[in-house]
Formats: sequence, structure tokens, C-alpha cells
Amino acid sequence: MSQPQQGQPSSAPNPTTFLHPPPRQEMEYLCADCGAKNDIKPREPIRCRECGHRIMYKKRTKRSECMPRSASSP
Amino acid sequence: MEGHAGDESWGDSNKVEWHGLGITDPIKKVEDKWLLLPAFLKVKGLVKQHIDSFNYFVDVDIKNILRANNKVTSDVDPRFWLKYTDIHVGFPDRTDADAIDKSVTPHECRLRDTTYSAPILVTIQYTRGKNVVRRSNVNIGRLPIMLRSNKCVLTGRTESQLAHMSECPLDPGGYFVVKGTEKVILVQEQLSKNRIIVETDTVKGVVQASCTSSTHGGLKSKTYITTKKGKIYLRHNSIHEDVPIAVALKALGIQSDKEILLLTAGDSEAYVNAFAPNLEDAARLGVFTRHQALDWIGTRVKVNRRVVGPRRPAWEEALEALATIVLAHVPVAGMDFRSKAIFVATMTRRVLMAMNDEKMVDDRDYVGNKRLELAGQLLALLFEDLFKTFNTNLKSSIDKVLKKPSRTNEFDAWNTMQFQGDHITAGFVRAISTGNWSLKRFRMERAGVTHVLSRLSFISALGMMTRISSQFEKTRKVSGPRALQPSQWGMLCPSDTPEGEACGLVKNLALMTHITTDAEEEPIVKVAFMLSVEDICQATGTEMYASGTFVVQVNGTIIGLTRFPTRFVHNFRRLRRAGRVSEFVSIYINHHHRTVNIACDGGRICRPMIIVDGGKSSVTEHHTELLKQGLLEFDDFLRKGLVEYLDVNEENDSYIALYEPDIVPTTTHLEIEPFTLLGAVAGLIPYPHHNQSPRNTYQCAMGKQAIGAIGYNQFNRIDTLLYLSVYPQLPMVKTKTIELVGYDKLPAGQNATVAVMSYSGYDIEDALILNKASLDRGYGRCQVLRKNMTLIRKYPNGTYDRLADAPLDENGQIQKKYDIIQLDGLAGVGERVDPGDVYVHKQTPSNANDNSFSGPAASAPYKNAPMTYKSPVAGYIDKVMISDTDNDQTLIKVLVRQTRRPELGDKFSSRHGQKGVCGLIVNQEDMPFNDQGIVPDTIMNPHGFPSRMTVGKMIELLSGKVCVYSSVEDMSRILIEHGFSYAGKDMLTSGITGEPLEAYVYFGPIYYQGASREGGLRLGEMERDCLIGYGATQLLLERLMISSDKFELNACQTCGLLGYRGWCAYCKSSKSVAQLTVPYAAKLLFQELMAMNVVPRLILDDA
Repeated sequence: MSQPQQGQPSSAPNPTTFLHPPPRQEMEYLCADCGAKNDIKPREPIRCRECGHRIMYKKRTKRSECMPRSASSP
Repeated sequence: MEGHAGDESWGDSNKVEWHGLGITDPIKKVEDKWLLLPAFLKVKGLVKQHIDSFNYFVDVDIKNILRANNKVTSDVDPRFWLKYTDIHVGFPDRTDADAIDKSVTPHECRLRDTTYSAPILVTIQYTRGKNVVRRSNVNIGRLPIMLRSNKCVLTGRTESQLAHMSECPLDPGGYFVVKGTEKVILVQEQLSKNRIIVETDTVKGVVQASCTSSTHGGLKSKTYITTKKGKIYLRHNSIHEDVPIAVALKALGIQSDKEILLLTAGDSEAYVNAFAPNLEDAARLGVFTRHQALDWIGTRVKVNRRVVGPRRPAWEEALEALATIVLAHVPVAGMDFRSKAIFVATMTRRVLMAMNDEKMVDDRDYVGNKRLELAGQLLALLFEDLFKTFNTNLKSSIDKVLKKPSRTNEFDAWNTMQFQGDHITAGFVRAISTGNWSLKRFRMERAGVTHVLSRLSFISALGMMTRISSQFEKTRKVSGPRALQPSQWGMLCPSDTPEGEACGLVKNLALMTHITTDAEEEPIVKVAFMLSVEDICQATGTEMYASGTFVVQVNGTIIGLTRFPTRFVHNFRRLRRAGRVSEFVSIYINHHHRTVNIACDGGRICRPMIIVDGGKSSVTEHHTELLKQGLLEFDDFLRKGLVEYLDVNEENDSYIALYEPDIVPTTTHLEIEPFTLLGAVAGLIPYPHHNQSPRNTYQCAMGKQAIGAIGYNQFNRIDTLLYLSVYPQLPMVKTKTIELVGYDKLPAGQNATVAVMSYSGYDIEDALILNKASLDRGYGRCQVLRKNMTLIRKYPNGTYDRLADAPLDENGQIQKKYDIIQLDGLAGVGERVDPGDVYVHKQTPSNANDNSFSGPAASAPYKNAPMTYKSPVAGYIDKVMISDTDNDQTLIKVLVRQTRRPELGDKFSSRHGQKGVCGLIVNQEDMPFNDQGIVPDTIMNPHGFPSRMTVGKMIELLSGKVCVYSSVEDMSRILIEHGFSYAGKDMLTSGITGEPLEAYVYFGPIYYQGASREGGLRLGEMERDCLIGYGATQLLLERLMISSDKFELNACQTCGLLGYRGWCAYCKSSKSVAQLTVPYAAKLLFQELMAMNVVPRLILDDA
């Protein structure tokens, strides 16, 4: 889903608090029907690769309240 | 009612049986005959009327419509024809070509904002060159499918299968999912078609009989037989002038005056005298023969000349109008006008009867004179209209092709059909989603036919499915249509109607009602003839109105005579009970009109009743025993002739006992269960018979707002707004209806321990005191789920929207408002959203509408189009759903959750129309407590009782208190056993002073419903007056203008008109323009007045 392009002012990749910035990875989504993990690519039809279902849910965030908000967890 | 024993006396406490029966009971009753009700609901369900009607349309009516419009020909090539031979509706499927599993669930449609629809498939035969080709399963469009109808994938599924489809097993169905929203086609109430209704206008002294004819094909016309200056005329829209009745009858082939007199007035002196002037009338007009009569009418018929051709003689025009337009529902076979003439004569006779005796006037509000129009009928009309247009379009495109002199390959009409577009599909979707049924062809223009299914609570959804809306104007000041009709007993709920302008016009079905669908007429006519009915065409007035002779009518049309009406009716009923004719055919004797009426048309309201034969209920204990064991079903009772359906008219012709001991020799039927006279919503009230009736009505309105569980799939749903109770409880005091409708599985409320006492003064005017500790424990807590939606679109010029990750500020930090946005540009699920936070970081190309743009799509300049959280209270991201719509745009739905606990001003209500707001929240230690240490959750002011007279609520408290210990019949004894006072009053100790309270307090659990919807308080005109009277006008100015909609206005002091920027456009000067502050609403009013050509001039003064 996500775009390589940045928002408005900067076009640099998102600096994180980690020393080694994690490689850009696709977000994972869960099929509403079978629960399989799926990737979603921009401008491609949304369809589960296991069962062909057309609805995906975003996975629950793994970031915990204790961690600083800006650090997006892998 | 469970936990009910109110009416048992003390002396019965030693009886052996407990279920309302003792050894001293005089007759052995059929216990548990009410079990027929759950059996009925098991077969029919709660919304059977909608589903049956839709099934009838899909299975039967659609085929009739096809048959009536089955041929397409060409004006260009006379050898070409196309014929539809069959039609059927498939199962809902998806439209995308590459899908593996074609089936689609309603829930997927809700989530993806698509329409739950199925293809309409036809079989066609047509000529291709010299051959006749047949093709089956040709798709002509898609029909939205009603949930739980026989074309729905949910029908007949088990609970676990439904769970797999994310569907709630308790959901009643009966609605459509169109573009992701749930739409209901409400039941519409109408005056019955094809029946004679006689009315009088006492002011003008006019008596008129009217009949609205409606035939298959939908064209409606109304014919009147009316009096004017003592004479009788036939009036119809298609005839310019009122036709004297004698002329009309002559035109219909009753030539001799004697015959006219016999058919209308018979041989009764009074009628003959009243009718005689009409015969003279015809003679004066010089109309003696049929031809003269036709000529007379023919010159006055409105002719719509479409076909160019030789002008037809007047009498032919008249003949056609009489045959096809006037009283169109009475069949004219060949040139046989006899039955139509008799129909007109009967109408005339009814007018004569009403002129003679005003009691012979009909009651339009009588439920038996009403028909309910359901989804199936409305869809049938819509389909016929769309299909006709489809055929016209098809014909014109076929003509277009055939017109070309030479073609490369042979013309195949099937190819043309494939390119007909989605006229039918779009037509259905448009009509259902807007609710506008505008069918020019059938002169139908109705708005607000469909409504969004209210999902405030399970009960509100259910209540919506049983709602009936009336076609009457709301503004008219007649009480008749709004009044409670005795004939609605058991058919329509007497309690469930809104307050205010729609009061009495919007009704609700009772629990056991069924609405009929059309049944075939011919077999019934045959049966009638077999049962010794004499054909009407062989009869003259002498026989028709001879004493002892009864006229037999089928659906309002006269078919014959019988001299033994009772025997005929009895035999006919026996055939029906034996299942030889449809169980929904009704037959009854009307002694006033001396007719036997048989009805098999659709839209009649009916309900089942136990047949009483020879003074005994035909349902016996043996049967209920088998029913309990599951060996019998409701349909078996019907088939065995133990139970039958009665419609309102037949019910009026029966003797129905309420309870078994009331049966007398004349009794014909026995009620299944008295509480079925209430509807599903009123059925939730415990002890409704102890309440003042308006309280039950108020409760019906409030019960629908209660927050609770709305369905087993509530957490899978993404609705615009969803209120859910965090800890719903099933009520301690239940009714049978509660169990039958499934309210015990999806409750909306909590059992609160209530002390009926005064406390603190913050409880006046029905306000409630709440225990703070109870709130901490979760009492009244609710969740609000709100949907936010956006589309990631692709534009025609090749550019597209995109989602971007959070932008950085100049320090390289993510801004606070983007802190929950993850790499995919969407907020993390489970994150808290604060006001002002962005949760979907969407960007749109700034040149999206620039069609000249041709660069690479990615190079387009983008601008931010974020979705920002607007509510003042923080929420949590509950769900982020990503999917595609029908036209392959990416759809993103974000569900945001808030949890709310009760606060001051939130509304609470018991089940007895006793609503109140929370007036004070008190610490638990300050609340009173009883000697067991029980502290109430709620304190209710006792002043709520005397004027409201909701004794049911007091009994609910008492029986609820007893039910804490055991399920019961003898309430007071059990209370004593457990150390309480028999009257339900406890000794309380004040939590503030620690002293015992001076009075005993009525104390126990009551089921409370919460309805916290962000309500405001209106500062009305009278409140404004109070503030002015008090001298606080500046407060008004501040509240109503400065902090609301203040607007700086320029006004000219010379002309008094509005200017701008210190310039008066009228005086062309800025000399005397003054600036003043007014509410924007006031400025808008001035401008709207100017738009209506009214000049408001401001006269300014120094204040």
C-alpha cells in the first residue's frame, strides 16, 4: 500500500530510533475470511492469495504504550 | 410471564400443579396451546410477510409479468421476432469475471459497499436469418435479493454456517443490502382495490360508491357511482361528463327500463321510487337503445389519439372505453358486457341502499377494507416498468441494426441484448437506495418507500420490519384513520405507534399476523360453482334480490347466486380446512348486503386461530403433547384442520372465544394466545395489562432507542454509528414474547437495584440518582463505534490517490498529529486517536481532473487529503478494513471506538415508559443501604408513580426481587422466607447520617435501558421570555449570537438595504453605511426575503 514517496516536505526515508534502519518491508494484512497473511500492493486488486476473499483487515499494532510513539515497531 | 403470580390468591398456595392450574379448576383446559405460537414463528419467522411477498414475486409474479410482455418485434423486418419463454432469478453472485468462488454473502456486501443481488435470467427464442434460435440463461439485469428469502444464501443455514458467514442467526432478514446499506421497504397500507366503497358527504348530501380497479399490469382507474341532485350518475376520469346511470347501463347492454329497474332497485318500493327519475332522465336525453347510449357516451370520451388512422365512430370509442377503462377489473369476454353491467348495477343498488339507510355506508378505516402492499408488489411494479423500457430499448436498437441495408454477418439479436446496458440493474438499485418509486407508466410517484434499517438496537431493527406506513396525509385533521379500530384486534398492535404527527398512521403488526399473497382466482370460482352456486349471467334482478338469495362475490366481482349461503360457506370452509383450496382464501357472509364474499387477493391481514368444533377446541392436550415432543409442526395443525387462518372479514363473521372456558355452542374459534395481540416491541413490556395504556405506547417508542446488543455479528459490522452496551443483561422479569423474538439473547439493558425514594433534590422531574461505584463496576457503560471511510481513487487521466507515511518536520521528527500513522499510511489498529490526529494519510494528485495531463502518473504533483479525527473525545482505532468496490476503487474503512460511562444528563428508562435523566452521581458510601448491606444502583423518585399509574413497574420490581431467589409463583411468601417484607419494602439506613430512614422504601431490581445519545436541551421561545423577563438579555445576546453565528453586516442608513465593504450598491455611496453585528440567520432571512421579492429595510438607531 505504502508509497515510496514521502509526504510533503522531505523525501528522505523515515529515520527511526534504531541504529540500523529496518529494511522497507510491506505491511501485512489478514484476510477477513480465512485469516491468511497477505501483502497489498498499491493499485492492485485486493484479493486473498489463499482463498480469493476481497476483504482485508490491518493487523493489530505491536507497538506498546510504554514505547515512544514515534518508534514504529517492525 | 415468567416469575409471575400476581393474580393468584393465597388460598391456592397448596395446589398440586403450578402452571396457573389447580385441582379446583372446573374444566380441564388445553394447557400450553400457546406453544402453537413458537411453532408458528419457527415456520414463519418474525418478518414472514416481507419474505413471503418477495418469494412470491421472484417465483410467481415475475413469470406473470414476463408472460404479459413476452414479445419483441421489429418495425423494420416483419419476419423478426423475439420471444421470452421463461424467466428465473439466480442466486446472489459476484460480478467479477475471474472469481473462483462465485457465491457472495450479505455481510461481504455490507463491508464492501456493494449490492446483494442476483442475476435475472431469461430464456429467449428468436429468429436468426431463417432459423429460430433458443438461448437460455440470458442475463438481463440484476435484482437486489431480500435477505432470508428463498434466493438468499442464508436461508436454511444452521447457526454455525451463519456464523461462518458473519451473519447473526437472530437477524430477521426481510431487508436488502444496496450499496452497502441495509434498506427496508416498509409495508404500505392502502384501501382495497376492486371493492365497492360507499361513502356519504353529509354536508353536500352526496352518496357515492367508488371502486378503484387494479388489474395485472398495474394501470389503476377509479369509477364512481354518485348522486347529484337526487339523480344517479356514473363518473370516470376518461369521460368528460357524468353519465346518467340509465344511459350507462343501456350502453352496457341492459336495454329495457324494466331490466334496469330490476337489476338496481329490485322490487322494493323505496328503491324503485328513488330510482325512477333516472329512467326518465335517459328518455329525456333521447337515449332508448344501446346504440344511442353508446353514441351519447362516445361523444364524451377522452380519446388519446396515438395511432393515426381513420376516425372511429363515437359508439366504438364508447365501447372500447367501457370495455377496457371503466371498471377495468371486471372481465369482458368477447362482447359480453353482462358481468360489468351487473357490477355497475350493484354499485347503483349500494348507493340506493345508502340513500335509504345511512347505516349502509362503508367504513374506510375498517381493517377488512384495507390491503397491505409489501416489497414484492412494489418490486413487481418496478420490474414491469423497467422490463418494458428494456424491451423498448431493445426493439429500437434491433431496428437500428436491421435498418442497415447490408450486414457483414447474420444478425443475432442475442448480441444486441448483451449491449443493452444495466438499465434494469441500475433501476432497481436507484429505486431502493433513494426510495423513489416514480413509474410514469403506471402513474405512480411515491417517495420515501424505503428506509435505512435502524440498527440502534436489535428491537429497533425488528420493530422496523413490522412497521406499516399509511398513505394518508399527515396534516389532515380527521381522526378516523388515526383511531384505534376494533377490527385491528390481534392483527395490528394497539400500543406500538409513534407519538406526534404520525400517531395512529404508522402502525405495527401484531405477533401472529400474516399478510396474504395473491392466489389464483379461477379454481376458486370453479369450486364455488361446484358447490351449487348459480352463474350470475343467467340471473335477472328478480332472482338476485329475491329474499333468501345471496350474491356470491369473488374478490369483489359478482360470480353467482346461492340460496343456501350458510351451507355453501360451511362446505367451502370444509374444503379449505381439508387443504383443497389455499389456506389463505377467506369466505364470509355479509348479512347487510346479503352477499357471500370470497377473497383470495394479496395484502389481506390474517392470523391463525384454533377451530372449535361442536363446542370443543379441536386442538387437544394430545396435540400439544406431540408438539412439545417435536412430532408436530405448525403446518401439521393447518393440514389436519385444527388451526386455520382468518382474515379480518372472516374474523368478523366468526365467534371467537378468548379462553377455553368461554366456549359456548355458537363458538367457532378459539384464540391461540391473548398476548399475540401485541407486537414484538410491545411484547417486551412486563405486565403491560397493569399499565395505563399511553405508558405502553411511550415504551414502544423508547424501547427502540435502548442501547444493547444488536446482533451476534456486531463486532464484525462496520456501521456508520453503532452503540453497544458493554455488559448487557437479560431481564430478570421476562415475557414469553421476549423469548420468542430472541430479546433474551440480544438484550438491551441491565437489572438495576432500585430504591424508590427521594434523595438530595437532584431527582425531581424524573431524574435518577446513580451509584458511582455501580458506574465504576460497569453499569450503563456503552461503546460507540463510528465508521470513517475513504476511497483511494484512480482518475481518468491516469493519476491516482495514494497513501503516504508520516511526513517529518524540520527537526526530522514525526509531527504529533501523524504519530499513529504507520508505514502504509494508515493508523495502527489499537492506537489511541486524539482530537486532530490523522488516521488515514491520503494524498490526491492536484491535477486529478486535468484530462490533458499525460505524464507518468507517479510524477503528478500531490496534495494532502488526510482524514483527521474530529471528535472532541479521544477514541481508539478498532479496525482498519481494506477492500475493493464494484468498480475497482480501493475502499478503506476505519472503525473508531469510544467507551462511555454514564454521566449527568444521560437518559435512562425502565420498560414502562418511565424515562429520566441522570441527575446526580453519588458515592457509594453516601447511598442508603438495607440491613443486608445492599446498596441500590439507582434511586428513583416515587413521584414518578401516582400520575403515570405504571403499576406494571411496581410488580416488575416485586417479582424481580423474588426472582433473585427462585423462579416463582407466590411472590410474597418467598419474600418473607428470605427475610424481606411481603410488600417489597425494606428498611434502609442513610449513608450520609448513618441513621435509619423514617420510612420503609420500595426496593428491588428493575430492568433499565440506557439511551445516551448526545442530546441537547432546547432553549425555546418561552425560556427566552423568562430570561428577558428576568433582565438577562445580554446573556441571550451572548449565547445566541456572539458565541454562535455572529456576522458583521454593512447596512445603508439611507435606503435600509444591505451593502458590503462599506459600500451601498443601491445608493452608490459609502456615506451612510454602518457596520452592525447580527446573527447570520438574520442576515440570511433578509436575503431570502429579497429573493422572494420582499424588501426588508433596516432602520438603524443608536443604542
